[in-house]
Amino acid sequence: MDYDAIVVGGGHAGIEASLALSRIGFSTLLITQNLDTIGKLSCNPAIGGLSKGNLVREVDALGGEMAHLIDHSMIQYRILNRRRGPAVQAPRAQADKFTYARLAKETLEAQHNLALFMDTVVDILIDDHNRLVGVVTERRHTITCKVMVLTTGTFMEGRIFIGEYDASNGRLDEPAAIGLGSALRKKGFPVGRLKTGTPARVRRSSLDFDQMEIQDGEETMMPFSFDYDSIQRPALPCYITWTNENTHQIIRQNIHRSPLYGGKIVGKGPRYCPSIEDKVVRFPDRERHQIFVEPEGVGTEEMYLNGISSSLPEEVQHAFIHSIAGLEHAQIMRPAYAVEYDFIDPQALFPSLESKLVENLFIAGQTNGTSGYEEAACQGLMAGINASQKLKGEKPLVLSRNEAYTGVLIDDLVTMGTQEPYRMFTSRAEYRLNLRHDSCDQRLTAKGFSVGLQKQEALDRLKDKLAKMDAVKDLLRARRLEEKSALQALRMPEVTIADFLERMPELKAYEEPILYQVELDVKYEGYINRQERQISRFEKLESLLIDENLDYDAIEGLSAEGKEKLKKVRPLSVGQATRINGVRNSDIAVLIVHLDRGGRHGR
Amino acid sequence: MKRYVTDDIIYALATAWAQSALAVIRVSGEGCRKLLSTRFSRPKALLEAPNATLVHGYLCDEGGKAIDEVVAAVYTEGHGYTKEESVEFTCHGSLAVIKELLALFNRLGMRSAEGGEFTFRAFLHGRLDLTQAEAVQELVSSQSQRSRSLALGRLEGSLRSLISDMKEQLLGIVASVEVQLDYAEDELDEFVFPRSKLVDLIKQIKDLSDTYQIGRLYRSGARIVLAGSTNAGKSSLFNLLLKQERSIVSPVRGTTRDYIEADLDIHGIPVRLYDTAGLRESNDAIESEGIRRTERLIGQADLVVYLVDSTELGHVPEEDERTLVVYNKSDLVKPPKGRMAISAQTGEGVGALLTEIAKRLAKGSVSTGDEQVVIESERQHALLENAAQALQRSLVLVDQDIPLDITAVELGEALQNLGELTGEVTPADILQKIFSGFCVGK
Ligand SMILES: Cc1cc2nc3c(=O)[nH]c(=O)nc-3n(C[C@H](O)[C@H](O)[C@H](O)COP(=O)(O)OP(=O)(O)OC[C@H]3O[C@@H](n4cnc5c(N)ncnc54)[C@H](O)[C@@H]3O)c2cc1C
Ligand SMILES: Nc1nc2c(ncn2[C@@H]2O[C@H](COP(=O)(O)OP(=O)(O)OP(=O)(O)O)[C@@H](O)[C@H]2O)c(=O)[nH]1
Ligand SMILES: [Mg+2]
Repeated sequence: MDYDAIVVGGGHAGIEASLALSRIGFSTLLITQNLDTIGKLSCNPAIGGLSKGNLVREVDALGGEMAHLIDHSMIQYRILNRRRGPAVQAPRAQADKFTYARLAKETLEAQHNLALFMDTVVDILIDDHNRLVGVVTERRHTITCKVMVLTTGTFMEGRIFIGEYDASNGRLDEPAAIGLGSALRKKGFPVGRLKTGTPARVRRSSLDFDQMEIQDGEETMMPFSFDYDSIQRPALPCYITWTNENTHQIIRQNIHRSPLYGGKIVGKGPRYCPSIEDKVVRFPDRERHQIFVEPEGVGTEEMYLNGISSSLPEEVQHAFIHSIAGLEHAQIMRPAYAVEYDFIDPQALFPSLESKLVENLFIAGQTNGTSGYEEAACQGLMAGINASQKLKGEKPLVLSRNEAYTGVLIDDLVTMGTQEPYRMFTSRAEYRLNLRHDSCDQRLTAKGFSVGLQKQEALDRLKDKLAKMDAVKDLLRARRLEEKSALQALRMPEVTIADFLERMPELKAYEEPILYQVELDVKYEGYINRQERQISRFEKLESLLIDENLDYDAIEGLSAEGKEKLKKVRPLSVGQATRINGVRNSDIAVLIVHLDRGGRHGR
Repeated sequence: MKRYVTDDIIYALATAWAQSALAVIRVSGEGCRKLLSTRFSRPKALLEAPNATLVHGYLCDEGGKAIDEVVAAVYTEGHGYTKEESVEFTCHGSLAVIKELLALFNRLGMRSAEGGEFTFRAFLHGRLDLTQAEAVQELVSSQSQRSRSLALGRLEGSLRSLISDMKEQLLGIVASVEVQLDYAEDELDEFVFPRSKLVDLIKQIKDLSDTYQIGRLYRSGARIVLAGSTNAGKSSLFNLLLKQERSIVSPVRGTTRDYIEADLDIHGIPVRLYDTAGLRESNDAIESEGIRRTERLIGQADLVVYLVDSTELGHVPEEDERTLVVYNKSDLVKPPKGRMAISAQTGEGVGALLTEIAKRLAKGSVSTGDEQVVIESERQHALLENAAQALQRSLVLVDQDIPLDITAVELGEALQNLGELTGEVTPADILQKIFSGFCVGK
């Protein structure tokens, strides 16, 4: 055996998977097509956002790397939706994409137990018992291992489109990984096509910022990671401009030249992140669409035009970009393009992200039909952790829907599959009040520790943080303001803890994240309690476990459709079974009766 | 997926949905005694009663006003039908009382049980032995049939479109809130909570929910009048249907002088049945008054069952929506072909008659003139009420300027309740609504 573990792909999923495996102590090899593109931010130079910021912090609490990378490469920091309520606010940061990728590679290189190798995997090796035993690469190396994590991103049989032009690429001018997709199809994997797109990059010195709105970040940057309390980074502004009727006119006149409308692309694109041509066609009444002009880094003139991804021909892109205020003379450095790629139906995975078809093969990231760096990272981490658990002969770590967005994401994927690139949304979670970003450490740090990834230090810090929060709450409780205690006053919607700093200078002894979390805790308490009952119900069904090898054919009374769906998904709990499309209430009842007959919950 | 959860408190009427002397309402689930004691005139007695004992007292509303005098049979955990802590109330069998008690239990936060749910719990707690499991499966599948029939597909046409329209409106409001929660403020247009839409929707839901209270059919039952000439056999049929000798039967014409009424249940529909004085020319002042009363009753009836004595065909009225002509004494004389015929003596044909009556009543010949859509089941009522209450709470939150993520919890609860009436609403439905209605995404 050459390695305990092989990770294929050095994207955001592969980084987390390879670090987790090697940190837990297994000899690991990361094979990726190009060492220079490790950790590349393919699309938007930003990390975090609504629910995505939570994912980053979950990864951090479990012992992953993404938060460290963005904390040390950010060039603007904001907390989104402060006014919408604590449960949905989330941090987002612009990244210097060069620094981000460089830090990623440095971190991998510095990691004990982790080897890096540049090549392209074209096939997997399977033994007689359907167990994965190794990989074959383009340059004809055969490398063996006990477990593998596959993270191919947009590269598996990737193809990019710009108007009439198309090429076999995973990203602009980066060769696709050819061969693996067909090999997996032949082995019976349910492989499909999805599509996504990215906007043009333009040259900073060619833009007229006087015609744009300026958008600054927060004054203080707060770290994504729970490992430290503050960060110092230079901050750059972003800018906002708008399309206009003229822009839309140009797009409408050339819509037939889009490969999407011409039928060249078969993969489905994300509804939540439509191209500008989609927006113009689907919302003809809108007079303008917003564009965020974002720096791609400190040492570069490239600016990212957030909001106008496109696959129209380059001359059309020129025409419509030049019709926009402030962009009249924009020099386009890289064109917008669409990419179509192979993904593998995630319903063929267990909640551990291990394949149901081939043992010891774990799959993560865009390959599972998701899109987004954070979505990729959290899966990569879980796949890495569970591949380690498998090597140790221990039970997989499966996060629940009420403790992490990561749990929601993976459960959604393996239970329901996806028809479009899957992105996280807060509304996908039933109990989002419980999934606040600032309390990820309380829910997950101990779990990261128990699988051997998180350090003792992190546990100690958490304990220390909780003690400090208690101390702050005591201070607030003891202090009377008019007829109320400060604690009660803080419950009012318009009051923030910052309002007390003048009158209660003793609070200044505590770090910003501590004060922030106390504020959210206090504001939320009453509402959280209201959800408890619902949650305990939910947990009850989740705790009725089903054997993965349960013989559904032997159970009488299941509907034909229900049986077929149950056999496909093979849920591990009754709770999961209830979420499968096509499984009826009566099927669930029959299932419960059957489990009970087997004496499974001992009554 | 509430239905197969066994840790909440459920309640259901155990006797038929009809006016009767006594009715039994069953409540089961851990903590039910404690909860019920808050509305019981002798809380301590209820709480401390040993297993399988009876406690007499009153169930009262929130204001302490007695709703009904009841006898509570108390079962502690491990006993009783479900083997859960449970209480069976025997109360007076008037529909108004039953309804008020069920509404009270709902307000207490208990859940109206699904069909078969008590048995299901009994099974899970080992009350039924495993050889009976097949029977339970059957029960469970009939349960699912019922819940499916309660879902959109089987709801009666106009009710169905009314409720799905409300759901659509609510989905619109929810989507407009969720989009605010899932996209950053700077990516969206200025947000104003659709308050007037919400207020309007609450009113619509309340209005529909209130039809449950005014639904005539289920408040006082349908009125059915047995009419016909003297000696047609009205009193005989009356007694047969009530299964007791309530009305005097004799070969003497004009035996019944004044009308007699009684309640019964015909295929689940509560019915008030009237036996009347036979119609004939009469010089007797008392009998004439009786006949006048019969005529008045006929005017108010939801359905008139006009009995014709097959042995002496006299006047036979026209059949219409409200009049059902029935030939009696089929044991003596063969009635005309194709006509509804019975024998009030042997019982022949009575089953078919009841089916016909139920069919006529259900057709809506009941609500005279008024074409209003009404809620018929206690469960539908409870779900609508819960939805309206959740929306009301969300309105309060909006007015207090509480952040949207909390308001969204209440809106979600309302949506879940409406969803149980019309088919489940999933996050995917909400996202679909967002993507189709809002231009979002950088
Ligand atoms: C054009 C474009 C548009 C995008 N648009 C959006 C968007 O609109 N919204 C959004 O949220 N996200 C978007 N992204 C997606 C985002 O970049 C990805 O979701 C994220 O990078 C996925 O991470 P990953 O680790 O799964 O894969 P990637 O970051 O793609 O990394 C995969 C890595 O694996 C390597 N690799 C692949 N196959 C092999 C193989 N067989 N052997 C060896 N190495 C291999 C590749 O070279 C690459 O380094 C877009 C990406 C692209 C390219
Ligand atoms: N054989 C036979 N006799 C019947 C039947 N129904 C009623 N009778 C008899 O007919 C007579 C009249 O029956 P009632 O039930 O008193 O008739 P009624 O319509 O109430 O008569 P009034 O009250 O006088 O108007 C009684 O002797 C009954 O026993 C029947 O179906 N078959
Ligand atoms: Mg009579």
